[in-house]
Amino acid sequence: MGLMNSSKTGTLSSRELSRRTFVKAMGAIAAAAPVALNLAGCGSQRASEAGSSGTSGSDSGTLTFGQSSEPASLDPALIQDGASSNVTNQIYETLVRFDEDSSDVQPWLAEKYEISEDGLTYTFHLREGVKFHDGTDFNAEAVKRSIDRQLEPNRTEDMPYASFNFGSEDSGTGVASIECPDDYTVVFTLCASSTPFIKNLAMQLSSPIVSPSALDEYDNDLTENPVGTGPFTFRSWDHDQSIVLDANEDYWNDDAAPKVDTIVFRFISETASRVTALGNGECDVIEGVDMSTADQVKSAGKEILTTEGMNINYVVLRTDQGPMMDVEARRAVRQAIDVDALVDALYGDYATVANSFMPVWMAPYDKDVEQLAYDPDAAAATFKELGITELTMLTYSSQRNYNPAGGQELAESIQGYLSDAGVKLTINSYDWTTYLDRNTVEDWDLCATGWIGDNGDPDNFMNLFSDTDPSINMSRFANDDYTALIQKGTQTPDGDERDDIYLQCEKMIADQVPAVVICHTQTLDGYDSSVKGLVRPMVGTFYLSEVSKG
Amino acid sequence: MAKYVLKRLMMAVLVLFGVVTIVFIIMRAFSSDPAASVLGQHATAESMAAWRASYGLDKPLWEQYVSYLAGLLHGDLGYSYYDHTSVAGQIMGRFPATIELAVCAILIAGVFGIALGVAAAVHKRSFWDYFSTVVSLVGVSMPVFWLGILLIILFAGSLHVLPSTGRIDPMLQPVGGTGFYLLDTLLSGDFEAFGNALAHMILPSVTLAMYSLAIICRMTRSSMLDTLDEDYVRTARAKGVRRRRVQTHHALRNAMLPVTTVIGLELGSLLGGAMLTETIFAWPGIGKLAVDAIQQSDYPVVQGVVLLIGVIYVLMNIVVDVVYAYLDPRITYTKEEG
Repeated sequence: MGLMNSSKTGTLSSRELSRRTFVKAMGAIAAAAPVALNLAGCGSQRASEAGSSGTSGSDSGTLTFGQSSEPASLDPALIQDGASSNVTNQIYETLVRFDEDSSDVQPWLAEKYEISEDGLTYTFHLREGVKFHDGTDFNAEAVKRSIDRQLEPNRTEDMPYASFNFGSEDSGTGVASIECPDDYTVVFTLCASSTPFIKNLAMQLSSPIVSPSALDEYDNDLTENPVGTGPFTFRSWDHDQSIVLDANEDYWNDDAAPKVDTIVFRFISETASRVTALGNGECDVIEGVDMSTADQVKSAGKEILTTEGMNINYVVLRTDQGPMMDVEARRAVRQAIDVDALVDALYGDYATVANSFMPVWMAPYDKDVEQLAYDPDAAAATFKELGITELTMLTYSSQRNYNPAGGQELAESIQGYLSDAGVKLTINSYDWTTYLDRNTVEDWDLCATGWIGDNGDPDNFMNLFSDTDPSINMSRFANDDYTALIQKGTQTPDGDERDDIYLQCEKMIADQVPAVVICHTQTLDGYDSSVKGLVRPMVGTFYLSEVSKG
Repeated sequence: MAKYVLKRLMMAVLVLFGVVTIVFIIMRAFSSDPAASVLGQHATAESMAAWRASYGLDKPLWEQYVSYLAGLLHGDLGYSYYDHTSVAGQIMGRFPATIELAVCAILIAGVFGIALGVAAAVHKRSFWDYFSTVVSLVGVSMPVFWLGILLIILFAGSLHVLPSTGRIDPMLQPVGGTGFYLLDTLLSGDFEAFGNALAHMILPSVTLAMYSLAIICRMTRSSMLDTLDEDYVRTARAKGVRRRRVQTHHALRNAMLPVTTVIGLELGSLLGGAMLTETIFAWPGIGKLAVDAIQQSDYPVVQGVVLLIGVIYVLMNIVVDVVYAYLDPRITYTKEEG
């Protein structure tokens, strides 16, 4: 009654609040809130030293690894992504394995191997006494089963790396046969000699050896039932949440035995959420840290692991049509861009200016390759002479491993440089999957792209410019001398002669400029200081059996 | 009433048919090629063509459509291009997570929204009234992804009092059960896991609840104000009924009719999958499933999730209409005879 009376007369009762007073009060709260939150933060930081929010991340026997996406499969024959290989690399093993600090391989499940003089026959002598997690013996038959299912005609369309690792009939390359002269000897006979083959067998995609019993039990698909010989066994997979692995107590290699009891892989797609999970103690290690969040990781008191990437961030120039058919035009594009300044501005300390297509750590002979120097005046003069006033560039809008600044940002930087040289650059930017569709059907002069190495072999990088498929050889570079060098390189044994072949390839690319190389980007991971022994190999992903906590 | 429900269900079938058709066309005509996404950087034109052929994507659109409809009629939603698992299995595996989150969010929104709305109506032009206005404005205006990240940074990143992401500590995960972790852990007597699941539920459910809370609060306030002005309320006061009883027994019960409708519709909306919230909090529900599938151009999964969302919306609308009719005897959906 009182309320109704006061509202009717227009005066305020003792319980009513005037709008002005209310606004003043809200303003005072808004001003005081940041101060209060800061004080609360200080208090809780001291309190949090006594314990975390009580998750698996705090348990010294459990390593929690946060990654950006869920595996597509845990069958090594069916995967092509890092999210899957992060997990499968702990469960399965390969005949040979990459060194952590180079792309060299060492025997692993094979004790030793021989390569015939003609490069066609690879004989592996297998380690005895190794068992799969289901108790099946590791032997030659298991190796044959693992690889055979990926050879034609057994191969299915869902095996993305089968053709790369083991060849195909169409290309006349790859594995012709696999023989098992005894239980612990496997002989691969190739269709044609291929020096990268030994490195293909070390890859964590497609090449790991799986249990033949498991293949029988699960109808040739180990997506949700992985059984390998590795240091960790599979316990559970809660989709979109986590995968749990347990230490393999019967692991054959005492020197590489697991140092934690359990690994939990958690899938956190948002980078900010993943970084917070690390800071909050919910994860011990996170992958997929980028330049913009590296400082957040450090300010949360965590560490950053920096590894030189096996990648190249570059811009291809269309050599089969348009103004870029002229090599002088392509050279002018290179001269117009101050790559050093661009890399510094976009990537800071997190990338190395590329003076060659391959990272120098992978191909030390590349250190003397010289790219055309930045010379905007010369570029402008060439563009004028050739009558080039407009160009089109296709790019992706998102960030990529090799380009953490994003495709749009890279394109805009190049647009600025070309503008200074008198050329208007039109940028067409698409989301990643649309970009993949568009880059083979749309007309463009420049296209932002990149490459992440697979097997640490120079052919894996340099054959991009000799492939006949436009989705691989995006510049459509067609040079018979170059192609001949690539073919020779695949069949030449490792050594000085082979190094020289790829050095010539690099020099040809620098001279003919089917691409402007930008940078090699570092891979960043975040981890808690209690984690010891974390090393990201130069090729492939982590071996978490070497990691301990506490 | 039965005839009315039957008629609505038949119309629902037509609506769902339209939804399925539109999504089918949009995904195939305007979405990017899933082959490149699945096969990775070594995908060649040849390998992509072979992949498409193996999944029937090289056939004419109408043929793909007929094949999909035929599968639907047999309850087959197809298989994911990305991980080859059954779409129905993926959806059913993730739906409990969304239901649990949606129910918790609507409980928060309902309890606090109604309480605040009642307080605002009863104490008009008081602090509570203005506070409810601010809360409502903030609730409908604040982007959910911003609120979610803010809460994570504050409560997990700075204060370290709540977990940032996920549904439960993986080591405490209940095995089997209904898929509703709060229920499963409580029923099994695993109180540590229950507490852990509850802690994980707080931030995402509060984030998700804000918009609904704002709507429910304003609707409650408005409805209460209208009801408090009714003649029967004035009669109750004149008869000397205590103020609190007038507010709860006479006014609130009648004011709840439109609020119930809003709550029902909001629940339907939340059950449709809170895509942003689930992505930020890595909550394994159908919203996140849909986002991942869209990014991967995983047509079967997108179609399956959209179909489920369509079914939820249609059914929730029918349920709300029926409940409303039962609550308010003045409402009838049948034509009067004679």
